[in-house]
Amino acid sequence: MSTLTLTHAQVLDPSLGLNQLSDIVIEYGFIIDITAAGKSISTNPEFNAEKALVIPGLIDLSAHIHNIASETVAAAKGGITHLCAQPNSRQLIDTPANVSLLQQASAKANSSRLLPIGALTQKLAGDQLANMHSLKQAGCIALSNAREPIKNALVLRRIMEYATTHDMLIMLTAEDCDLSANGIMHEGPTANRLGLTGIAEVAETAALAQQLLLVELTGCRSHFSQLSCGRSVSMIRAAQAQGLPVSADVAIANLMFTDEDVDGFDSTFNVQPPLRSEKDRQALLAGVNDGVLAICSNHQAQDIAAKKAPFAAAEPGMSLLDTWLSMMLTLVNKGELDLSAVVNASSILPAKILGLKAGLQREQLANLVVVKQDADICYSIDSLLSSGKNSPVLGEPLKGEVKLTFSAGREVYRA
Amino acid sequence: MTRHSDPTQVQLTADGRLKHFLTTEGLSKELLTEILDLADSFISTQERAVKKVPLLRGKTVVNLFFENSTRTRSTFELAAKRLSADILNLDIARSATSKGETLMDTLWNLEAMYSDMFVVRHADSGAAHFIAEQVTPGVAIINAGDGRHAHPTQAMLDMLTIRRHKGKIEGQTIAIVGDILHSRVARSQIHALKTLGAKEVRVIGPATLVPKEMKDLGASIYCNMEKGLTDVDVVIMLRLQKERMSDALLPSEGEYFKLYGLTEAKLALAKADAIVMHPGPINRGVEIDSAVADGKQSVILNQVSYGIAVRMAVMAMAMSGQVAEQQALSNKNSEHDDTKTTISGATV
Repeated sequence: MSTLTLTHAQVLDPSLGLNQLSDIVIEYGFIIDITAAGKSISTNPEFNAEKALVIPGLIDLSAHIHNIASETVAAAKGGITHLCAQPNSRQLIDTPANVSLLQQASAKANSSRLLPIGALTQKLAGDQLANMHSLKQAGCIALSNAREPIKNALVLRRIMEYATTHDMLIMLTAEDCDLSANGIMHEGPTANRLGLTGIAEVAETAALAQQLLLVELTGCRSHFSQLSCGRSVSMIRAAQAQGLPVSADVAIANLMFTDEDVDGFDSTFNVQPPLRSEKDRQALLAGVNDGVLAICSNHQAQDIAAKKAPFAAAEPGMSLLDTWLSMMLTLVNKGELDLSAVVNASSILPAKILGLKAGLQREQLANLVVVKQDADICYSIDSLLSSGKNSPVLGEPLKGEVKLTFSAGREVYRA
Repeated sequence: MTRHSDPTQVQLTADGRLKHFLTTEGLSKELLTEILDLADSFISTQERAVKKVPLLRGKTVVNLFFENSTRTRSTFELAAKRLSADILNLDIARSATSKGETLMDTLWNLEAMYSDMFVVRHADSGAAHFIAEQVTPGVAIINAGDGRHAHPTQAMLDMLTIRRHKGKIEGQTIAIVGDILHSRVARSQIHALKTLGAKEVRVIGPATLVPKEMKDLGASIYCNMEKGLTDVDVVIMLRLQKERMSDALLPSEGEYFKLYGLTEAKLALAKADAIVMHPGPINRGVEIDSAVADGKQSVILNQVSYGIAVRMAVMAMAMSGQVAEQQALSNKNSEHDDTKTTISGATV
């Protein structure tokens, strides 16, 4: 556990209504005090955070983690203090034994914290319920089926009823696999021109409509992961207004890119869910700005061979842990996202969804990141710590450089 | 947000010459016309007793077909031989696992044999573009069909057919009928026709086979064949694959023929001198009636012979573009070397 005082930092925490120059005193990992700048009294070593922003650490609701050591270190460098690992990791997170293996590996890595998401169904096959309660007991923060389909609506209904019985959070992806069959990108003019099979918007919205009706029936606390359509945001907004216990997130790629980025058949932009139209992107940005949507990285490291193939034959996914925060701050810099909405969507809201302590509260373990908000930064293959070099922003001018990350009271990264 | 390599520009040298032939999209009217003019000149050489010209002498062309094809492959083979190239035919069944690796490994192996040109057919859209980006500079890629994306040599032989039979492409109304959704031929034809000044390109078929986004490419969409064929100058029929029925895109061949099969009665709605084309192989009684396929308005067999000339033209142009680019590069490097020598000379 670390002891440190951050001085002269611009501290922003929308959950506390805090946005001012402050000092933060951390002792043995706990935030002891947040004072006006220059007013802190301690004998701690100091970290001069002048002209830097201090925000609560990012909590990533969805990442695909195969190499725990490299990916948690990449997360720490990227300002991510907590990382939810989807159950389709190298070893499926579908038994308590595998959960504890993962936790041991995470403890050994001693970097940003890994939060396992257990499987909803056995082997993620979508047929039989996994030992959901045992997985929760073993320490799973939530349960999901990664992006594997649960085709049978009755199975989904039973999952929701069982999860409600044991007060568990489930995470769903909205995709009707029959409607999206063979699809590889957003159905629209670009897909037609490139001759790539499209995934229509209705593949997401039809599935979401059915899932929301089942939530209404069962009362199951449900989180919808990686929504990609503007229409889906309206559906979540309406469901929340109706009082349903639902939340949702969007992957950073869908906030930054559109289907037109696939032009050129660049397999980096082969992702699930697909990058959609500019109209969808705008609606998703609005969903973040008005607090409906959280943002996740949807990080998926792929080795070079898996991406070095014609678009449709390449493995999906982008490597994003290193660059997620810079990508969000770049969108802030462009005026597309509000800074406080970004902090809310990537830290406060995820904490609330997962039932963790949100924000920079006193007497809590420090989870925070010091970042130079407007610093120019440009990532290269060599500067990425993630094992996956399949980043969509290599060589792109971005904003925001992380200087220091505290995860669960430990200093896990310092520039 | 980011902009990537423009697929239509990868095929051009810095000074705008063809160095690969991947798609008809984005190519200028002048360049497309140059292909047609050169192909025209090769048609006359084909009629001679000695058909060979030495443009690709000493070059090695590899036919790299990841998908089955008889006619396209053999016309490419003939075209290469008539250009005096050495040709190697490879039929590579698609491996079920790690497709990308297989493709890359295949490429590296073939490059090690010092090939100068790959003629590529692959089931994945973008495969030819992908290969063009991966190969060693100096090696030309000719797209012989990639997924649903493009089949540019077929489109150009169709342009040549129209030009030779109708005199010009400007001002013509062309109807493309059938399975537009899965057709790389239709996409390449639409781009070429629009660039070459066709008056109107109509795509005709049921909504299951005609994506509404075709209008973004500049085509007008007709679901009624009778309306769509009225007063057109050129009718291009597309082949209907049998698996469209099992994919629930169509109820039956019989119903399809009734609605979209080309019969003499339907053809009578087009202009009296309209020509009928088909990229082949034809399904008699499925998309086209035998009486029309063998009728006097049909130019289907002419298309095949023009195919050789068009393929000769693009192979010759791409190879010459590659040679010119390599030459320019080596000139630049030797200039650079000269400068270095001078500088070091001065230092000494």
